[in-house]
Amino acid sequence: MSDVDCDAVVVGSGPGGATAAEVLTAAGWSVIVLEKGRNHLLSLEAPHEPLRHFANDEIAAHRRFLLGPDPLLEPRTYRRTEADGERLAVGNVNNLPSTVGGGGIHADAKLPRFLEEDFCLRSTRGPVEGASVEDWPLAYDDLEPHYTAVEQLFGVAGDAEANPFAAWRSAPYPLPPGDDMPMAVVTSEAAERAGFHPYRAPTGINSIAADGRPACTDCGYCGGYGCPVQAKSDPIAALQRALRTGRCDLRPESYVTEIVRDASGRRATGVRYLDLREHPEPSVREVRAHHVVLAAGAFETPRLLLRQGLGGDLVGRYLTYHYQTFTVGIFGRDTGGERGRSVTHLHDDLLIDGPGLRAVAREAGLPWVRGGVVEHGAGHMPVEESTTYGPGEHHLPSMRDSALRRRFWVFTMQGEDLPQAANRIDLDPSVTDAWGLPAGRVTYAPHRHELVASAHAGPVHEAILRDAGAQAAFTATSPPQGDLDLHATANPLGIAPASKHVMGTARMGADPTTSVVSPEQRLWDCDNVLVCDSSVFVTSTGYNPTLTLAALAHRASTLLVGGGR
Amino acid sequence: MTTFEAGWEAAVSAALDAAVPGSVELGALAYVERLLTALDHDPPRIWAAPGRWDGPLGQPEPGAPAWLELGPWERQAWAQRLAGFREAYERVADGAPTEDDLRMVHHHASEATYGDPAYGGNRGGGGWARIGFPEPLHPPAREGGEGATA
Repeated sequence: MSDVDCDAVVVGSGPGGATAAEVLTAAGWSVIVLEKGRNHLLSLEAPHEPLRHFANDEIAAHRRFLLGPDPLLEPRTYRRTEADGERLAVGNVNNLPSTVGGGGIHADAKLPRFLEEDFCLRSTRGPVEGASVEDWPLAYDDLEPHYTAVEQLFGVAGDAEANPFAAWRSAPYPLPPGDDMPMAVVTSEAAERAGFHPYRAPTGINSIAADGRPACTDCGYCGGYGCPVQAKSDPIAALQRALRTGRCDLRPESYVTEIVRDASGRRATGVRYLDLREHPEPSVREVRAHHVVLAAGAFETPRLLLRQGLGGDLVGRYLTYHYQTFTVGIFGRDTGGERGRSVTHLHDDLLIDGPGLRAVAREAGLPWVRGGVVEHGAGHMPVEESTTYGPGEHHLPSMRDSALRRRFWVFTMQGEDLPQAANRIDLDPSVTDAWGLPAGRVTYAPHRHELVASAHAGPVHEAILRDAGAQAAFTATSPPQGDLDLHATANPLGIAPASKHVMGTARMGADPTTSVVSPEQRLWDCDNVLVCDSSVFVTSTGYNPTLTLAALAHRASTLLVGGGR
Repeated sequence: MTTFEAGWEAAVSAALDAAVPGSVELGALAYVERLLTALDHDPPRIWAAPGRWDGPLGQPEPGAPAWLELGPWERQAWAQRLAGFREAYERVADGAPTEDDLRMVHHHASEATYGDPAYGGNRGGGGWARIGFPEPLHPPAREGGEGATA
């Protein structure tokens, strides 16, 4: 009888875990994937066809927690700094889906690569006081083959020549770009007139039928929704491939509570988990494995490590999001945001070093400033819009006029968020989840760099939107700015970061004294435990993280396979 | 409909219509009643199911479940949540709602007016029609209301 149940147990089935499972099973390894959430994605029986649980349904997706987690079961807590006391708020704090497929389910699948400079910002730009800007322990060139591999795996649709700032690449995108949202063409032309370089966003959404799944129907229910026709490839493509090898066992409703170690404490022998199919007393089960791959996301991975004191003193620290700057244009006509893939165009100019940003930095007394990728997009949720307008006689006229749905268009800048040791995930001292485990707590306040970059971007983007025809334009941010003490009392969750891009809580590095995982993404203090999610990011960059975390998972898993079982 | 005790309807209807005018005519009261009794059905009427699709623009397969199953822990959370809603509506009916209660009513009236008709509101898509919102391409099963198959 074997002393293990599988070669590797993977914790989490999102883009990182799915990619790791695909690489490992392709190499002949046996894998068990444990997912805390429910399965709405694909059949567990061969040939693992989509379940088609998703619809154009705002109530299920946005009002009733179909994608999980339910904050009554899994509360998280938030505070800005320790000065706020133990917490300001309890509830839904940056909740990414807790379901088979993880964050890949709800995302609108924008999958840009990082720039070469993103991996060596400390060397190219230098330090920033009050932040911990460091180089990554690998270069873009090290990751490029893995970017290419995951683009092929996910079937990314894009135009390789479109972005003049893009890093070099060894292969074109496997699929052509999808349909443009008409208003994105209008705002892209305006951005070009302002000297910017917008381009069609690379997306992990089928632009044509591919990999046994149909092309996107541009139904408009993209960002924030599961795809009704499974045109979104990330992560169903990787999970299907892993499952179809016959060497992958996917177990939903399996909540990993412990990494089991040998007597030395430096080697994992598997994991224990709660079988959440059982209620109210879920059984504790164990999977024995040669290797443990953590891919639970940058919130849940450190939470698991912290419960066991694994990974060292830096676990949870250097939490980053993207500092989001929303510039809203209100147009005198419909903008067409009710159909399409939520975002079809991007521009990167505010990430690129140049005289304008240098002047901004100089004036602010900062060594440099970077913004982030800017998404040209819209949303269309009428229920959400209705809750925004107050009750009473003005409600229906406001809904008909629809400044916040039919007539609006938004530039969302995913601003680079500098890592700070004080920003972190830790364990709340008294709030627990439904199973008695300490809730994760966010402590987060932005660095002045983010505020300066945002303050620069807002007026620039307002001018572009006005040039595109907007009657009015304004800018808001998340977290909001200004005097927040009133909000902190009345609506504390409203000042928590809204960004779902959570990164950097188990940093990778070449030095065990300043990082949690090695360049191969192994825990320094338990080296058969890999971390394959955005926890390992050293800096946030200003780009959507999914493609890079998947490329890192691909690289780490490939290296693991190369080292043998 | 047994959710609301005698005399509740008038007060709750008034609150819903005050929050989103016209919501009751579009089925808001039925929406709230179905929500509060969602766990009386199996599967619970929390998430309308789209059924299986024959193709990207196909229709739900006949006989497909009209509601998605909840896991046991999700049932626990929804039981807790619905109990809270019920208490809030009691206060509304008694004429003593809190600010949070009125916010809940506003949210439910919004869901009932502009959410999918499968949940009992937005009768005939009338809520969408009055604001020019386009019908979804991939709606959940329209038979997902009263008398839905389990």
